[in-house]
Amino acid sequence: MTDFLFDVIATELEDAVGRENCSTRTIDKLTHSVDYFWLSRMWADRGLRMPEGDFIVAPKDAKEVSAVLKIANYYKIPVTTWGAGGGTQGGAIPVCGGIVLDTKRMNKIYDVNTQGMYIECGTGAIYKHIEWAANEKGYATMHYPSSLTCSTVGGFLAHRGIGVSSTKYGKIDDMVLQMEVVLPNGDIIETSPAPKHAAGPDLNQIFIGSEGTLGVMTKAQMRIYEQPESRQFRGFLFHNMTDAFNAGRELLQKFKPSVMRLYDEAETASLIKKIVGVEKKGAFMNIAIEGVKEMADLEMKILLETFGKYGAEDLGSEYGEKWWKEKITFFYPGHMMDIPQCFGTMDTIAPYDKIEKIYWAMKEAIETNFPQAKFIAHFSHWYEWGCMIYDRFIVDGKDVPRDPHEAFRLHQAIWNCGVRTALANGGVVNDHHGVGIKLGRLMKEQYGPAMQVFEGIKKQLDPNGIMNPFKLGL
Amino acid sequence: MQFTQKSKEHIDACRFCWMCHHVCPIGNATGLERNTARARALGLSMVARDSIEYSDDIISNVYECSLCGGCMTDCVTGWDPVMFTKEARLGAALDGKLPDYVMKMLMNINEKGNIYGADKNENIPEINGGDILFFVGEDTRAKGCAKTAVELLKKADVKFTLLKDEPSSGYSMDFLIGAAAETKAVMENCARTLNNYKKVICYDPSDAKVMMREYKEWGIELKAEVVTFTAFVAELIEGGKLKIKKSDMVFTPQDSPLLARDLEETEPIRKALSACGEIREMLLNREHTMLAGNLIMNEYMPAVIRKVAENRWINAKNADTMILVTASPAEYLMLSETKPEGIDLMKLEEAITKCL
Ligand SMILES: Cc1cc2nc3c(=O)[nH]c(=O)nc-3n(C[C@H](O)[C@H](O)[C@H](O)COP(=O)(O)OP(=O)(O)OC[C@H]3O[C@@H](n4cnc5c(N)ncnc54)[C@H](O)[C@@H]3O)c2cc1C
Ligand code: SF4
Repeated sequence: MTDFLFDVIATELEDAVGRENCSTRTIDKLTHSVDYFWLSRMWADRGLRMPEGDFIVAPKDAKEVSAVLKIANYYKIPVTTWGAGGGTQGGAIPVCGGIVLDTKRMNKIYDVNTQGMYIECGTGAIYKHIEWAANEKGYATMHYPSSLTCSTVGGFLAHRGIGVSSTKYGKIDDMVLQMEVVLPNGDIIETSPAPKHAAGPDLNQIFIGSEGTLGVMTKAQMRIYEQPESRQFRGFLFHNMTDAFNAGRELLQKFKPSVMRLYDEAETASLIKKIVGVEKKGAFMNIAIEGVKEMADLEMKILLETFGKYGAEDLGSEYGEKWWKEKITFFYPGHMMDIPQCFGTMDTIAPYDKIEKIYWAMKEAIETNFPQAKFIAHFSHWYEWGCMIYDRFIVDGKDVPRDPHEAFRLHQAIWNCGVRTALANGGVVNDHHGVGIKLGRLMKEQYGPAMQVFEGIKKQLDPNGIMNPFKLGL
Repeated sequence: MQFTQKSKEHIDACRFCWMCHHVCPIGNATGLERNTARARALGLSMVARDSIEYSDDIISNVYECSLCGGCMTDCVTGWDPVMFTKEARLGAALDGKLPDYVMKMLMNINEKGNIYGADKNENIPEINGGDILFFVGEDTRAKGCAKTAVELLKKADVKFTLLKDEPSSGYSMDFLIGAAAETKAVMENCARTLNNYKKVICYDPSDAKVMMREYKEWGIELKAEVVTFTAFVAELIEGGKLKIKKSDMVFTPQDSPLLARDLEETEPIRKALSACGEIREMLLNREHTMLAGNLIMNEYMPAVIRKVAENRWINAKNADTMILVTASPAEYLMLSETKPEGIDLMKLEEAITKCL
């Protein structure tokens, strides 16, 4: 691009969003080039610069987003939407340069609607801010991911995120009523006024999980709930994981706890021991039950009876309460995997008939092919039919190649191995962190010819291919 | 730019940590990614690795932090973005790279004793009243008014001195260039004046903060006992020196981050207000408070600081209160500029005076 054309585009973008909200400054380009993806962090740690956007724009509403997308389409410049950069899959990294569209100025809370039980907000709102707004009126969003304080409503929608109380309250895709979306051509649309209907396919679900490849979600109505009258915790130790899965499945046929997390023996002996203080051997499971007190008391009785049948040791409420208090502590520097380690979370999901098999197959595949990697896992987010594995590999800093390109190769190879093993055994590419640039290539392996449905939608909505290129395998 | 080993460690811990994104009053006001502790740390980490220059661009980002400590308080690990931000400001000064707007304020402090270059406020009287010094502070002298506070002390029969020429405490120098020799010299000069008194009542939390923390940290001898105005007034009420008639007013305290976090003082304002009426807390109170204004930053990013105050008003309104009360002159000025309809704003001394 010539300097002249650069200036032409810059002034048009400034006109669209205001000069102070269109930046070409190093600090803005740099901070929008490193997200929570391991690669971008490793790259920066080694003093290298990731691909950067040429223009960082921060529109305040759908109209301004529309103006930006029209400019981008005219000049055929890539647009990468950035929420808070808390994504782990490199989804927000502007791999082809161009425009980075930061949504956080669209953070207005328009309505805390206690009749309709939703909050209407700009998608650039940090989720904790809408939780605060709900709390101020005595309600709660019940979306409690570890990144509650550092990711946006739009980011969670774009990656189909999930919080710790999902077993009872659902994933983010269960929590949205209506959305406003700006299409790549700049048209502003609204999805159906109610999320459950028979007025054709569900428009919400086309954009949820689309990772900025099909447009920009600008406004959303997110569900709120009454604060539970009672929240009760119980920790259990199972002899083995098979018993735990059977117990969990049986419980889910009876009622839904809010939190349900089973840790494999390795994670029980490491993270759980360190943060929650469980010293014993076995598989730790933490359950929270909540709602009206009378119901919660009854559910607790059913829980104890059900888990008792599977030989689970009742550890009382103390560990669960500690876990609830410390649930975010796991993610602070010093408690969490961090550079110079090489690591990743390969979350996948499957029905109960496959989930345990997937776990053992992934563990074996990683540990056999990459003896330098440690494999730990927990199972959170349970359904009547199956549950999610949150499995991690961790390679110690001393075993990570000095050459950053080689380090990246190792990382990609472990991912290929883990996800392909999950797919071969009935899992999916990802459960709740999304796909991004990290896993795009594997989407085709999961979907095969079904991928053409996504490709067709993409082609129709974004014929110039400007929206977040090379993400989601599109 | 040379960082100390300690700063480097903190910078490297924060550069990839997203956890405090939500608490930054500046980031919440601008919606810009660079206004987060992690973004600032990332920029500085790249400077420390010689991957980018310590350029105007990075330096101006370092000045977009209010040093309110929200991020540090929220963090469970003790990493401290305020510490490395202040060190980066000092580094910019030592490298001769201070932004023009900072240079201008420093020159104003040098010439007029305040960042604004304002002449002495003739409304503040000189009082020679003994060995208690009522220290008003440079912001109030330049922009505010301490009349009600002075009257309140008189009503409580406190014998105090109010200086005609009050030295700068060093707060604004510390904010702008951190632990530079020049800052220390200003503080030492102030300490010499303070040491002529037994007790110093600090009206402005920013002055109290440096006198009670930085002076000690930097070995500046301070013989006088320093108390905050809030703590002093709460004691006057408790000791019966101010006779209060409880009203049916509903007050919501705006905790100054300087008092609540730096000085860990949160209860005196509540003690005083609960004698006067009902207290209704708003979201983010005590040490978790959210900044409502900063006059130094208001000099170079006024629109953002206005938005910071407006955001705090949203919390106050959501608390369904009658009156927002602050003990910080800076926050009072910003909050009064942005006050919405249907809710009142008072300084602590105004709330108390209404109930005498
Ligand atoms: C400490 C930590 C803990 C985490 N824990 C969890 C967890 O418990 N559960 C969980 O689900 N995730 C978790 N994550 C991952 C992360 O929070 C989610 O992936 C989240 O969805 C990212 O949101 P963001 O706003 O940071 O998005 P970004 O990283 O900025 O963007 C992510 C993707 O969404 C797209 N996008 C963003 N906003 C929009 C929009 N308005 N319209 C269209 N596309 C958009 C971007 O283009 C990109 O492709 C964690 C992350 C961190 C840092
Ligand atoms: S000190 Fe305050 S203004 Fe500075 S980064 Fe932390 S929260 Fe933001």
